[in-house]
Amino acid sequence: MRNVNWGKLLRENAVTIMFILMTALCLIFSVEQQPLNFVLYELFGRLSRNAFIVLALIIPIVAGMGINFAITIGAMAAQIAVLWVIEWGISGLPGMLLAALMTVPLAAFFGFLIGKLLNKMKGQEMIGGLILGYFANGLYQLLFLFIFGNLIPLNAPGLVIKGSTGVANTIDLSTERGFKYALDDLWKVDFGTAMYILFGVLAVITIIMLITKKMKPVRGGVYLGVMAAAVGLYQIPVVASLFSMVKVPMVTFMVVGVLCLFNTGLLRTRLGQQFRAVGQNRTVANASGINVDKVRVIAIMISTVLAGWGQLIFVQNMGSFQTYGAHEQVGLYAGAAILVGGAGIRKATNGQAILGCILFHLLFIVAPAAGKSLFGDAAIGEYFRVFISYGVIAAALVIHAWSGVQKKKTAKEALSE
Amino acid sequence: MTKNKARRIVAIVLVAAAIVMGIAGGIFLPQRNGETARATTEELRIRTLLDVTGDGLVETYVKIARDEAMKVTKEAGGNMAARREAANKAEEETRALYANTETDYSTIDTSALAPAVAEYAARLEVYYNLTSDAEQAYIDAHMAEAEAEAEAAREAKIAAGEEVGEEKPVTVDMSGFVATPEMEAALADADAAFEDVAAALCGIYPALDDDALKTLKPTITSVVLQQGESFTDLYDRYMAAGSGKAVTAPTKAWLIRYADDLLYGAMALIVAAVIILFYETLSKKLGIPRIVLGVFFILLCFLCLWFDLSLATLLSNSLVRMGMNAVMVLAMVPGIQCGISLNLGLPIGLVAGLIGGLCTIEWGIPGVWGFVVAILVGCAIAAIAGWLYAQLLNRLKGEEMSVTTYVGFSIVSLMCIAWLVLPFQSLKLRWPMGTGLRNTIGLDSNNFKHVLDDFLAFDIGSFTVPTGLLLFMLLMCFLMWLFTRSKTGVAMSAVGNNPRFAEATGINVDKMRVIGTVLSTVLGAIGILVYSQSYGFMQLYTAPRQMGFIAASAILIGGASTSRCKISHVLIGTFLFQGVLTLGMPVANVLVPGSTISETLRILISNGIILYALTKSGGESRA
Repeated sequence: MRNVNWGKLLRENAVTIMFILMTALCLIFSVEQQPLNFVLYELFGRLSRNAFIVLALIIPIVAGMGINFAITIGAMAAQIAVLWVIEWGISGLPGMLLAALMTVPLAAFFGFLIGKLLNKMKGQEMIGGLILGYFANGLYQLLFLFIFGNLIPLNAPGLVIKGSTGVANTIDLSTERGFKYALDDLWKVDFGTAMYILFGVLAVITIIMLITKKMKPVRGGVYLGVMAAAVGLYQIPVVASLFSMVKVPMVTFMVVGVLCLFNTGLLRTRLGQQFRAVGQNRTVANASGINVDKVRVIAIMISTVLAGWGQLIFVQNMGSFQTYGAHEQVGLYAGAAILVGGAGIRKATNGQAILGCILFHLLFIVAPAAGKSLFGDAAIGEYFRVFISYGVIAAALVIHAWSGVQKKKTAKEALSE
Repeated sequence: MTKNKARRIVAIVLVAAAIVMGIAGGIFLPQRNGETARATTEELRIRTLLDVTGDGLVETYVKIARDEAMKVTKEAGGNMAARREAANKAEEETRALYANTETDYSTIDTSALAPAVAEYAARLEVYYNLTSDAEQAYIDAHMAEAEAEAEAAREAKIAAGEEVGEEKPVTVDMSGFVATPEMEAALADADAAFEDVAAALCGIYPALDDDALKTLKPTITSVVLQQGESFTDLYDRYMAAGSGKAVTAPTKAWLIRYADDLLYGAMALIVAAVIILFYETLSKKLGIPRIVLGVFFILLCFLCLWFDLSLATLLSNSLVRMGMNAVMVLAMVPGIQCGISLNLGLPIGLVAGLIGGLCTIEWGIPGVWGFVVAILVGCAIAAIAGWLYAQLLNRLKGEEMSVTTYVGFSIVSLMCIAWLVLPFQSLKLRWPMGTGLRNTIGLDSNNFKHVLDDFLAFDIGSFTVPTGLLLFMLLMCFLMWLFTRSKTGVAMSAVGNNPRFAEATGINVDKMRVIGTVLSTVLGAIGILVYSQSYGFMQLYTAPRQMGFIAASAILIGGASTSRCKISHVLIGTFLFQGVLTLGMPVANVLVPGSTISETLRILISNGIILYALTKSGGESRA
């Protein structure tokens, strides 16, 4: 067997390991407040609506721009699109698709501007993106408070409330004009069926790869064995009852899956190679003839459009959103989630994003209940999870900066010798 | 034509326009108290009266038409619904008939009306003077009684353990007030005069009946009565009277009314001309953001004058808010000078200061000593926290901004939990029910509310000078200035300007960064206490989160960069930023009533300037 460096493994995944321990602790203390099958039900709901937007962060990270906190602006673009789709009264799936279509030019344009600005503050992209998000929020307020509903009249019921200025505080998608559950309700199955479908597809792929000898037999065997074991486990009534409340929105998860494939596929193209090159070292990339600024702008544009779509998936699942607040925390939660999964400021994978999403939202579900049973106050749990979101990002930034300084130090020492 | 020439021409046109406006304003402004103004108001009064009565007359016609229609339908055998419908139809028709008939008031003979109105006005004035005298006498007689009652109620509340709010001014219950015989006599006199006015009005509008006059009486009285109001107030009142339909005033009256605005306009045009002429010199000296905000501030000043808002009060408020925020902004100076760039982790210091404030309230130390104790406790905590924070920052040179921001955010949310569990006992701090400290803790005269603001404060007209606050601000700035002149201070700013050079000359960079960070954190603690004593509330939980950004943007507006700053940047930046916000709110409320546009403005300015500074800090990381 290979010699595993446990110390190094621990150090590199410190955030994830800490988080797993903390979540497990919270889970233990919250069980008496909320049963496990409710937790799982909530978790699948949160995963379906949040995973997409977390995956939108990967490409800028690979391109060396850190966590793109400016994805809030993508979310704003999506909300503008939603407002107009509701105004025109296009409901259901057509409405959702139209909103997705409208998001593309809006978010791409915003992404272009963000990229241009971030190119002027290289090395400070994360703080720049954060502040840019705040700044754009001001512009968004101007747009929704003083332009929409005043200068540009809105006629759909519920969008404007008489006696107050601007668009109403909440935009409801559950009316006949909205597209609540447009994607989720297309194909919804219970957990068992979803698992059989997923494993069926995976098993077929594994077998095909084994036959064409693209995969080592041992590996394929392990995969098939794990799947069989999971199916076997599910036959135990206690385990099955845990998943009794879960309903899996297949299309939504398929979209998430497609995005994972897109991320992997894109990074294998020429453009993807350029992202990597720019991410590793801008000077070297520039010397090898890559237009660094242009590549960075493209990375941000892709991320912003994807974030917009992610926000659409989010609002169609929620059924309504706070006009002036729904986008504010998008960057924070998505950024914290991907870091929890073990991603860093310079590297991130689909797996880390999904794992982080699961862990982060699991903590979100159980923290208030744990706070209640530990301290007798749910508010402590609420504040605790906000603290965790900020704290995880701060910790990741500290670890990243620290390792950068260490590297520089060793390089200096090597030079002086 | 060159660009310079075009600019000169535009400036000359502006100045010419300004001169014309200024002369017009200068001529007409003094006439406000003169004979023309008096005559104009007299004339406007009569016209408004006629207009109001005309409207009342329409109501009379409507009533007649309705009665008529009802009667006709009743005779035709219609039921109640039909009658009502007919009446409504008749009303609509009548209104439509009179809707567009503008009366030409100059053709009406007012020779009988004018003296009657003047007489009525005179007698009314007598009556109201008597009334206010009698009321004042009543209040004087009963004040002691009311005060005793209020005090008793307050004590009863305290005894019952209820919350006692801030002391409100005692009011005398006026229900026991009875009109004096003199007042009644004067009122009778006035009523007699009103009969003359009514007779004169009937002479002009023969259809006016007694009922209509009765309903119109309060309106007529309010039009006629002039309680020593100024020309502008009267003009505005008459223009607005009469169901919103303005009476057309003569051009001269308009000029007199708006003479002051003409003068302001002239000044604004001259300022604009100066800016256009010397744009390049100014932008080189001040930088674009300061010019934009400076011009915006001047524009807001003129808009305040234009909308007749009290500029003196608003400027005084800006001064208070400058004093409130200046120490927090000053906290940015050691941070920038020691090379950690903008200390967006300022909330660490703020939280320390808040804990100090909570302690004095818990221990019940009043007044100035309470404030001093709060500062001492706050500084002690801030020094320790700042030292730890500096150890962290010394390990991550070059990445401070994003790290400080998120460390600050984390501390604020960690403190949210702390506020829930900290063992403070005072009911002033805790929720009476439930757990944890209150969101906002109101300070009062038993704590350190306004200890600085009210120290040696004096008024110049409606402009209040918060002497103590300003002195404290200047004192802190002076101490900071002294420090930057000291040996340590010079070494510190060398570290901020060029860390490599500083290291080469043998300065201990890490030590300087620790000193700067600790100083910045301590100043943050003092800053939030100064802010709270002036604001009158201590805000816990998420409130301190954005304050670091506000302080950072203020110093950037003042002209600082992320690696260089001066004390003057603090003063200029804080005044400009807070001034724009203070003046922006009332102006925005005139433009878009009931809006939150000033909050939006704050978000845009504060984050916009930080973005600008980030783009200026160079394309490459400074590390």
